Amino acid sequence: MAMKKFINDPDNLVSELLEGYALLHAGKIRVTGSGMVVRAKPKDEGKVGVVTLGGSGHEPALSGFVGEGMLDISVAGEIFAAPGAPACLEALKAAERGAGVLFVVLNHPGDVLAANLTMEMAEKEGLNVKQLLTHEDIAGGPRSEPEQRRGLVGCIPLYKLVGAAAEAGRSLDEVLAIGDAYERNMATLAVAVTSATHPATGEAMFELADDEMEIGMGQHGEAGTGCTKLKSADETAETMLEMLLKDLNVQSGDQLLVMINGSGATTLMELFIIFRRVHQVLTEKGVKVACSRVAEDLTVQEMAGFQMHIGRLTDEMVDLWNAPCDTPFMTVR
Amino acid sequence: MAETIGYDEMVRMLRGAAEKVTTQHEMLSKLDAAIGDGDHGTAMRRAMVCLVKAVADNRSRDLASVLNDVGWAILSAGGGSTGPLFGTFFMGMGEAAAERATLDAAALAEAFEAALAAVRKQTKAEPGDKTMIDALVPAVEGLRAAVEEGLDPAEALERAADAAQQGAASTKDMLARFGKAKNLGRRTLGTPDPGATSVSLIFRGFADGLAAGGT
Repeated sequence: MAMKKFINDPDNLVSELLEGYALLHAGKIRVTGSGMVVRAKPKDEGKVGVVTLGGSGHEPALSGFVGEGMLDISVAGEIFAAPGAPACLEALKAAERGAGVLFVVLNHPGDVLAANLTMEMAEKEGLNVKQLLTHEDIAGGPRSEPEQRRGLVGCIPLYKLVGAAAEAGRSLDEVLAIGDAYERNMATLAVAVTSATHPATGEAMFELADDEMEIGMGQHGEAGTGCTKLKSADETAETMLEMLLKDLNVQSGDQLLVMINGSGATTLMELFIIFRRVHQVLTEKGVKVACSRVAEDLTVQEMAGFQMHIGRLTDEMVDLWNAPCDTPFMTVR
Repeated sequence: MAETIGYDEMVRMLRGAAEKVTTQHEMLSKLDAAIGDGDHGTAMRRAMVCLVKAVADNRSRDLASVLNDVGWAILSAGGGSTGPLFGTFFMGMGEAAAERATLDAAALAEAFEAALAAVRKQTKAEPGDKTMIDALVPAVEGLRAAVEEGLDPAEALERAADAAQQGAASTKDMLARFGKAKNLGRRTLGTPDPGATSVSLIFRGFADGLAAGGT
């Protein structure tokens, strides 16, 4: 089927989407020539900066979470492709407020390559930067092989926690420790029911039969654990939640953050139904849902499906999640 | 034939590579659509636009300078893995060419070996993993072997381009172990790796570019 998207020249997709985004949220963010989305009002001196990078086409991620209490700068690449190391280096320098910078990187091949090069350059220039890699897709491989696991929507709560810690004036080592602790205690699993079209090439990103779903699908349509027949909301939620709870070894008495993230073409109606079942099962098991979010934060064009994310929280993390933030796509007052 | 590669010869090689890749970008995207996300041709075309602009803007007449500028421009183009890997390739060449006005055949081999080393520092991919390494290693080894036989740079580059082409073709029967393609497992069999194919095009472009202006 031919691509049906409201676009202009595919070469200008990213510059045009960033232009619109900047006009829409002029009070909170601005966009620089090198594809950096930065806070309109820079962070106070003496606080740790938080920077991330990633391909475009996942809106509102990642740049939707730039603002007070979350990210200082997001470096946006082309569609599904990491930005260049020079732009990332520029971002690390721009985010420096005298307390160092945390560089959050999602585990995807291009992102990691660009980030590693950036870190080499930053080291040569003597910048005070610590890198934090997110890899929580439990479909990628066992917990003992984190490098096999992709970075999915878990980056969003992670930005929230480290952003709040940075805003509270914590040191770079402390901010890193909080981020690292959450990273080790989070797990995400994705399911897809229909493919998406790559907006620059017009090609379908993968194939799925009308009556099938694939659990473990990556956010670019990378293959997961195999196709199965489409199941009901409750069955799907139960299957995925069971895999996540097992992976994280969640016990009765634990408190969790739960996120249901729509991939682009799945309705909020469906996401609420899924969340309802997840909440019921967790409550039955004596696991507390301390924090939760149902939203389209990290999308894959018009892919139908969702990512289910859980993270085990300490009381301190609950406070950081509830701390004020003011970004275009997440606000806590 | 050219006995040495000076600034003008290097510029011809660079432009030759850009022309070759640019005319084939749709083919590269088709390969990538089969085993990746279909944007490799677009990323390479963007990288080559940056290459051509960097060459045009560089007026130093210095080999290392133009290679370094090209490398930095390709890094800046981003494009996922494309920018870092191809960018460091040219920056590695540039470092090896520092302080040299011209490269004889042996120095050209050294420069390509440095480029390969720079790329291998960035990726853990080994030959057989269905990546650009499968074309780059034979190209650089082929060039070195040709130089050892006493061939001049133009002939050695032809040899390198042939080796890269064979290397790229050999990836067709390999199972991807790196990049986004890794997750597709057996579905990657039967399609050559787009990155390896790009390396093959670049070396063919180097050879053609040098030959085109040779007397």
